Amino acid sequence: MTVWPEQRSLVADVEFDTVDMTINIGPQHPATHGVFRMVLTIDGELVVDCEPYIGYLHRGLEKLSENADYRQAMGWWDRTDYLAGMACEFTYCQAVEKLAGIDVPERAEYIRVMMTELSRINSHFLFLGAFGADVGSFGTSFIYAWRERERIYDLFEEVAGDRMFPTYFRIGGVTMDLPENFESRVRWLLGSIEQGLEDLDGLLTGNEIFVERCRGLNPMTTERAIALGITGPCLRATGLPWDLRKAEPYGIYDRMKFDIPTGREGDVFDRYFVRLSEMYQSVKIVEQCLSEMPKSGLILNPNLPKTLRIESGETYVRHEGTKGEYGIYAMARGGVKPYRMKLRSPSFCNLSALRELVVGNYVADAIIILGSLDIVLGEVDK
Amino acid sequence: MVDLSFGDTLFGFWNWVDAIIRILIIVIAMTVMVIYLTYGERKVVARFQQRLGPTRTGPAGLLQGIADAVKLVGKEDIRPHNADRWVFEFAPFATFIPVLMTLVILPFAKDWGVRNMTLGLFYVFAILGLNIVGIMMAGLGSGNKFALLGGIRAAAQMISYEIPLVLSLLSVAMITGTLNLNIIAEQQDRYPYIILQPLAFLIFFTAMLSELHRAPFDIPVAESEIVGGYFVEYSGIRWSMFQLSEYAAMWAFTVFGSIVFFGGWQFPKGGDWGWGWQLALTMGKSLTFIIAIMWVRTTVPRLRIDQLMSFCWKILLPLSLVQIIANAFIIVYGGEYWLLSLTSGIGAIALVAIIINRAFRRSTKTTGLVGAYRSLQVPAP
Amino acid sequence: MTKADAVYPYPIGKAAPNKHLAELLEPLVSELGGTLSETTTDVNADIPLEKLGQFVEALNQRSALQFDMLRNISGVDLEAEGLALKYHFYSFKHGHALQVTVATAYEGAHVQTLTGLYPAADWHEREAAEMFGFTFDGHPNPKNLLLEEDLHIHPLLKAHPLQKVEIKQGIEAGPPGVILS
Repeated sequence: MTVWPEQRSLVADVEFDTVDMTINIGPQHPATHGVFRMVLTIDGELVVDCEPYIGYLHRGLEKLSENADYRQAMGWWDRTDYLAGMACEFTYCQAVEKLAGIDVPERAEYIRVMMTELSRINSHFLFLGAFGADVGSFGTSFIYAWRERERIYDLFEEVAGDRMFPTYFRIGGVTMDLPENFESRVRWLLGSIEQGLEDLDGLLTGNEIFVERCRGLNPMTTERAIALGITGPCLRATGLPWDLRKAEPYGIYDRMKFDIPTGREGDVFDRYFVRLSEMYQSVKIVEQCLSEMPKSGLILNPNLPKTLRIESGETYVRHEGTKGEYGIYAMARGGVKPYRMKLRSPSFCNLSALRELVVGNYVADAIIILGSLDIVLGEVDK
Repeated sequence: MVDLSFGDTLFGFWNWVDAIIRILIIVIAMTVMVIYLTYGERKVVARFQQRLGPTRTGPAGLLQGIADAVKLVGKEDIRPHNADRWVFEFAPFATFIPVLMTLVILPFAKDWGVRNMTLGLFYVFAILGLNIVGIMMAGLGSGNKFALLGGIRAAAQMISYEIPLVLSLLSVAMITGTLNLNIIAEQQDRYPYIILQPLAFLIFFTAMLSELHRAPFDIPVAESEIVGGYFVEYSGIRWSMFQLSEYAAMWAFTVFGSIVFFGGWQFPKGGDWGWGWQLALTMGKSLTFIIAIMWVRTTVPRLRIDQLMSFCWKILLPLSLVQIIANAFIIVYGGEYWLLSLTSGIGAIALVAIIINRAFRRSTKTTGLVGAYRSLQVPAP
Repeated sequence: MTKADAVYPYPIGKAAPNKHLAELLEPLVSELGGTLSETTTDVNADIPLEKLGQFVEALNQRSALQFDMLRNISGVDLEAEGLALKYHFYSFKHGHALQVTVATAYEGAHVQTLTGLYPAADWHEREAAEMFGFTFDGHPNPKNLLLEEDLHIHPLLKAHPLQKVEIKQGIEAGPPGVILS
């Protein structure tokens, strides 16, 4: 169309023909917390489309488990949610115990719950630190969180002999008894954790910019969260107090007195805050375990067969993992190996909703939303 | 024969020799300064984060900066295949040259700088705006989308914040009656201009953080989003040119700010104890500034781009305009200095009140947020 | 009754009343030609493949059931008996947990997608499809999820060797991603 001089004033009304840009975030990117890739289509600073790609860390966990016996496979399940290895071991052991009908001594149950809760605190500390870094606080929150994580890892090392992948649980109990002066050490650790929580709370929640960035960002209704398969703190942030430790109690969680923190809006701030509050409840659970635990006793079921064979059966054991519902579908058809082991990993299911959550937000917010889902790639990619 | 005084004449052979010697001194001082600013930043940030920072290289890690510099020079200079060659390779220098040109007119001690310019303040306004050219060149020439995003963010941010920055300095220039930085410093023998113009200082400090891409305004280089922004494709010596210009700009800005608002080399209550003390005063004032910048960096997260823009255009710009108008009325109608101090003080209180009000508007929703994790529910919105 | 219970009328904190679920499901399952059984943890309903969509719609819609969450989809290779798909559902409203088993043929199994009723099924179905070779009819984005996009192997089939394919890609002729059988 020719533009005549007298029509030039009209040209300003014509919209510029802009082109959407595709940027590739990951697999090596500080915000993806591992090897995860998302392809964002952006219009200026706005995200108009998002396509997540996973599988960079796929190790064939399920196939490997089918080819090892029940005892051997456990080490691989540590490496799913590698920030809370003990919690994964708990689920795995209980899945096998359900199939084989094995009981666990009471003292071992207490130890298991205690270790699981400490793992949960550990994992949530990493979330707080990494989330602060995602929002942009230059590593200060990260280092604060790391101080407490180191102390928890030191305790794990003393108890199990390894920090990240302890393989401490056994089918029918735990490997070895607790070290001496364990109780006083844990009590000191819990005090330190609470101090660390207060520090992080002051640094992040007390920061105006942090609150302004997170509050009201990406709110979600309970119904939509359920339909998308979102569980764990992200679901509780929408206001639904659904926690498998209460809804379908397992282990000795029915004896524990703790609350389920919930949010209201389901926005990014609530997801952060639910996790922060949850850690305090975990501290309470560990304290109860310490005072109620039998001071001595068996830690491993003495009637275990030398080689575990399970004739048949199937089970779907689900626990409240650190990121949500951590479920294992296990099937046995005779022999010393599991016939099928399927992991329902909370990060996988939460991440599958990413596209819907991210589209329509700023690029900077997309990073925060991804951070607020708190994914662990070992769990997503299996 | 040779007049080595602090002149502003352009002609004559010895004047040029003199200028070259002075520039050499400045360049060497700047290099040493930048090396120890990186070291200092690492140490200060480490202490804020309960770490030790560098300790291994030399006593207390003092040689760390030099080791880093040697390593960076030795690194391969990589140019991406799809980068625009000349734009890409010249961008670090285009970023660095304006910073060096700013350093040329700063009086570090009484009557000592490279050149004493009558239009010094104006010169700074003119030169600082050129910084953006190099950053845009890096962003567009790298052939990288993160760099493009970073460059565009930087352009939007720096051009926006240039306006309140310049206006805040203009309001000081209205009082001084001169644009010569040496004379501006000399005038502050009784009280520094921060007392007369606290609002201008607050606006200057905020805009300075933004111009330097420091937290909470580090949007163009956001590490967790666009992994470094415009310099993401650079390596080796060209990358270190960006670092050099960043830290040199920080130094130049803080020296400049301390001259305009704190009297630079001038003693607080007058008096003249020689150029050594004057240099120490200038540097002390600017280092205090720098530590404040680092403190902010370790504490606060990053703003989003729309929040950043609305803060500039809706709060800083109107306030600086109001201050200029108030100054104009007071000066034209022959008001006293205390009147300037009063109006600007009210303005500064207003700025703080606006910020706190924004915070308070939020915190009515979130009363008692800190420590609330001990209770069950997230506080009611 | 806590405050949250008032907002969301879900039976939080009570043991799952799975006893009544079998009675509730009995007429529906027998109408569709399926059978009910029990696993260690859940009620299991075996449903014929072609009735899956109908059954799941009833699970989702009927007020007595209201299974609003799809927890998990798991493929199983039963060798001589063909393949099977295990769906795990959960009802927040009633606290019910249900496992639905669908048996399919060993090769070329076509299964109706559940992504319309449960958006959560998206990635689970993609994973089952690449791992076992199912085809989910009507899936909006039927690409490989965990494996490479052009890799058409089904590693979780029992016939698939543990190592062989990967070694073949590296040593023998042919570009990676092309299956050499």
